This record gives sequence, C-alpha cells and structure tokens, in this order.
Amino acid sequence: MGVAELNQIDLQALARGDKRTWDAFVAAAAPLINAVVRRTLSSYRLGEDDVMDAAHDVFVRLCAQDFRLLRTYDPARAGLPTWLAVVSRSCAIDLLRRRRQATEPIDDVPEAFLGVEDRHVEKLRIPEGLLTARQILILRYLYNEERDVIEIAQLLSVDAQTIRSTHHKALLRLRAHFREEDPAGGG
Amino acid sequence: MATQRTPRSDKELWRSLASQSVVAPAAVSDMDLAAWLEGRLSEDAAAPVEAAVAADPTLRRAAIDLADVLAKPLPAEPQRMVVRARALVGFETGRKVTSGGLFGRWLSGRGLFGGPRQAFQKSIMAVAALVIASGGFVVGGGLGESLAQREGYSVVETASTATGSNEVTEFFAGDGI
Repeated sequence: MGVAELNQIDLQALARGDKRTWDAFVAAAAPLINAVVRRTLSSYRLGEDDVMDAAHDVFVRLCAQDFRLLRTYDPARAGLPTWLAVVSRSCAIDLLRRRRQATEPIDDVPEAFLGVEDRHVEKLRIPEGLLTARQILILRYLYNEERDVIEIAQLLSVDAQTIRSTHHKALLRLRAHFREEDPAGGG
Repeated sequence: MATQRTPRSDKELWRSLASQSVVAPAAVSDMDLAAWLEGRLSEDAAAPVEAAVAADPTLRRAAIDLADVLAKPLPAEPQRMVVRARALVGFETGRKVTSGGLFGRWLSGRGLFGGPRQAFQKSIMAVAALVIASGGFVVGGGLGESLAQREGYSVVETASTATGSNEVTEFFAGDGI
C-alpha cells in the first residue's frame, strides 16, 4: 500500500467508520504521514516517540468527532495525498507548540525561530499592485529564503525558465518604479 | 552637481524594499493550500494563497517541504504506527461484524426480537439460565442413579467399603480408642 492507493479509498465508507476501509486507509496513509511529520519535526531534535505521537495525532484528528475533519476534504479541489500532507504538517506544528510550552534551552531553538527582522530600518514600501503575488513570492523565495530556482519551479509546477523570467520582469518593474540603475546596464 | 549612485544588486534592492503589504493576508485553509500545491487554482484564486505564503516564512518553508516530500519516494513507516492508528476505529464496527449470527444477535440483545425491548429480553435470558441450571442438576443426578443401577458394582463396592469401615472401627475399639 502507498500514496497511489490513497486515491482508491472509498471516502464515504471511511467517513461512515467502516473498519476495513479505515484499516486500508491507515496502511496507505501511514508512509506519507510518517514522512511529513518526520520532515516537519526534523530540525527540532525531537525523539522517535514524538514522531509517533505526532503521526498518531494526525489519525486521531482525522477520525475525531465522527470524522469531521475528513468530511471537510473535497476531492474536486485537491488529491487526498496532498491534502493529507498539509493536515499532517499542521498536526506536527501543533504538537511542536505543545512541547515547546515548557522552558527550553535557547541552544535547542532553531535560529529561524529566534531571528527577528530589524523593524527600525526605514524601507521603501512597494505600492500595491506593482508586483503580482506570484512575483513577490518568487522574490521572497530567492532572496529571503535563498532557495534554488529549481526548488521554486518544482513547488509552483512550472519550469525553471519561467521562474527566471518572472524574477527578471519583477525586478524590471521595481527598478523602473524606484528609478534604480540596473547593475548589469540593461537587464 | 549630480550624485553618483552605486548600482545595487537585485538582492540588495529587494532587501531595501518593504514588500510586506499593509493589510495582512487572509489565512489559508488546508484545502486551499493543497489545491494551490497541486496547481489546481486559477490565477485569481491562487493570488491570495500566494500572497499569504509570501508573507509567512513558516508557510513558505511548509510549501517547499511538502512539495519535496510529495515528489519523492516515501520511506517505510514504523509498523507500530499502523497498529496504533488502526486501533482508533473498529470497536463499534467490529461488534457489528462478530454479532452476525442468531446467537450473537441474541447475546448482544438486539435484533432478535425486532426492537429494543431490553427488559423483555433480560427476563427471557434469566428464565433460560434457570432452565439450563435446573435441567443440568436433574440430568446430572438422574444419570448418576441410573448408571449405578445399571452397572451393579457400585452396591458391592459400597458394601465392601462398609466392611472396611467396620474393620477399622473394631481395630480402634480393640485398642480402647
């Protein structure tokens, strides 16, 4: 069983609480939930028991209150594996928040959580509508996250050239608006 | 006098700008995020999701992580994860499955009489238990007697036991006990 089998699950039977369907669903969903939870918790030095608890939380949340969460899933909008991956990540983050309520040595906290943006620096605000949401997203991934073009292309399901082109157009607009000189002298 | 400006790199230019919108983007539901990750949203529908992802570093990382996990082969999960999860559902359903027969339905107290007449069923069960207990007692006693009569040796054995008993009594009497 695996992710491909998830799409074969009878969702109506699952929401009714049919035992056989639930067992098949668990077998198909467990590898994905395990992978997402592990990935989410990987940078927090949590143990195997925490991973197990987070994964179990996902299953508990799915079947709680007569499968209320599962009933919110709409097959017309997204595939079950993708939706399940998003839900799994949310559950893992929730578990992380619960675990972090107690005092924690500062060395154990990832730097990303401690980093605070310097709000004292006066920045020029980009006017609404100058860049599209996608252009801002790509620039943030490239410059704030320092992600690779290939990674962003994979995320947005486009080819790398489209990302480069979007990036280039966004910078042209920015430079034109703020009358910056192009360092390359024209591109 | 014109001031000469040092051209800035793309990254420097971006960092000198506040790309954050004055209005905080709306929260993105799990369903919307999943649809966006699959590229199923139209440009208009994707825009608010992309604005929300762009504005939130946690969401940006989540999107990259999820896309990566979904694109790769998955490692095997620990077996106890499956066992624990399967145990979450099944008690009610399992009871339905095991109580399929007439006796099971009778034991579970539903279905046999076509309705939830529990008091009536309990009294029936009590009478049945009484009949079984008294029947067992009668059958056990009757069988013992008839067996003894048919075999015949039981009487002889009883007699010899009685004889033995008398001998012991005489022995003790002889010792003055």
